[in-house]
Amino acid sequence: MAPEVYRIARAPITAHAFNADRSTLAVSLNSNDAQILIREDQEWTTIETLSEHDKLITSIDWAPNSNRIVTASQDRNAYVWQQTPDPKTGKVVWKPTLVLLRINRAATHVRWSPNEDKFAVASGARAIAVCSFDPENNWWVSKLLKKPIRSTVLCVDWHPNNVLLAAGSADSQARVFSAYIKEVDSKPVATVWGSKLPFNTICGEYRSPAGGWVHGVAFSPTGDLLAFTSHDSSLNVVYPGSNVVHNIRMPSLPLVSLLWTTEDTIVAAGHDCQPYVFHGSEAGWQETGTLDDQSTLGGAGPARRSGLAARSGAFAAFQAADSRGLGGSAAGGSASTDTKLNTVHHNTITSIRAHDGVKGQIERISTTGVDGSLVIWDVSAVSAVASRLGVMSMR
Amino acid sequence: MDVAFRKIDIDAFDDEVLREPDLYEEDPRGPAQALDEAKQKQVAVRSALARNDIVDALSIVLDNPPYGPNVEEAKNVSLQILLTILNTTKSTEISTVIKSLSMDARDILMKYLYKGMGKPGWGDISGSVLLGWHEKLTEIAGTGCIVRTMTDRRTV
Repeated sequence: MAPEVYRIARAPITAHAFNADRSTLAVSLNSNDAQILIREDQEWTTIETLSEHDKLITSIDWAPNSNRIVTASQDRNAYVWQQTPDPKTGKVVWKPTLVLLRINRAATHVRWSPNEDKFAVASGARAIAVCSFDPENNWWVSKLLKKPIRSTVLCVDWHPNNVLLAAGSADSQARVFSAYIKEVDSKPVATVWGSKLPFNTICGEYRSPAGGWVHGVAFSPTGDLLAFTSHDSSLNVVYPGSNVVHNIRMPSLPLVSLLWTTEDTIVAAGHDCQPYVFHGSEAGWQETGTLDDQSTLGGAGPARRSGLAARSGAFAAFQAADSRGLGGSAAGGSASTDTKLNTVHHNTITSIRAHDGVKGQIERISTTGVDGSLVIWDVSAVSAVASRLGVMSMR
Repeated sequence: MDVAFRKIDIDAFDDEVLREPDLYEEDPRGPAQALDEAKQKQVAVRSALARNDIVDALSIVLDNPPYGPNVEEAKNVSLQILLTILNTTKSTEISTVIKSLSMDARDILMKYLYKGMGKPGWGDISGSVLLGWHEKLTEIAGTGCIVRTMTDRRTV
């Protein structure tokens, strides 16, 4: 099945999150505001704008069951948004509640815990704020995970047990912490990550051999495995029981975001503009293909060119500009100056989320990226990789 | 206006500052041992080159190279050996040679190519030879190989 493609905006989509029935979408278009969109026919239209932050929003998450949105921003704040009737008009609108994060640098990423009673905010202050609701004072309070983080935290992901938290950081480490909050959590049962889990216990620290910022981190559906993508163009899968880390190096550009579709399959995407599929077991992992089938996806337009042709187009345009002083449009407008990428996303994919299916058996996923598009992919439609950005020929 | 304050090393007042050694595991070999190993490799590479076995010669020098600070001498010896191999390989053979290298060896070869390009005029560095290898290596190992060279703090 061909992927559904929606061109949401002519601006980068920083983050996206759907509500429980996938009828409503929250996005931030590289601005201080978040938009709430609903689908009308084949278009997504804005029905409400959430403006409260005074710097760029960096991350959005939507709690499916309690229907609450949390936004994190470079203004060092997070807001929890809830639908409440407006006292004057009676219309139901999203109302913000400020969260006291107690961080002195930008918030970079936010995720609700599986039980939706906590959320974790990653930040540039070398800390993760684990926030829970204090009913006595009627506000969200935070507890900071600090040690031994040495640099900006770029991503977080919750373990299904609501206690363990994985975090990837710019100090090139992926870590597993305990984010146990006495007031909220019941005593966790022992997992492969450990049995005694007071707050800020470090259950594991992992690094890709060549290092690099850890852009994305995710627990497997059971929570027994951890995967992370780092800026050395690799995907790493951690088996904590045997302490084995599988490192899959890519010939293409770094991956930024990843999602486990089943216990033995991962979809990951990033600067190469297409979602790659990985499959494996404790014996080893490998890339099995891409969801972006470049052989048939031409649509009504002309047949899509191979990666080499696309690259040559861009190359020729720059060469003409360099040697003859010709601008892109003046160079003839022929096929050789057509610099459009032949992937569905035309720029870096920054976010992958589950769209259909149950945890452990995801059927469709949604991706957004710097090109301002939202794409919904069928994860079973895996095809061979036809071309990679910047790679002229394959082994 | 007094701008001397701009030169204060503020990191010296921060106990939790991220330092270079925090980002990678240091080379377990000391300077002396690393130099010793590099010289042994030099002998092995010479005999491989005498047999005209470029792949073997490259694999020897690219296996577990000295990296990080404090091993400058060993690094220079290794770079010198590598340049000898690169300069003696016929340009028509480069692709075949690279294809028989392991993925690790390719990543390390890319590091040496960039190191070489950063030291014009050092030893017998030839820009055109390095660029020739770079082109072929990028074709085979992809941009990922270049990304890893830029990311990896274990500089050769």
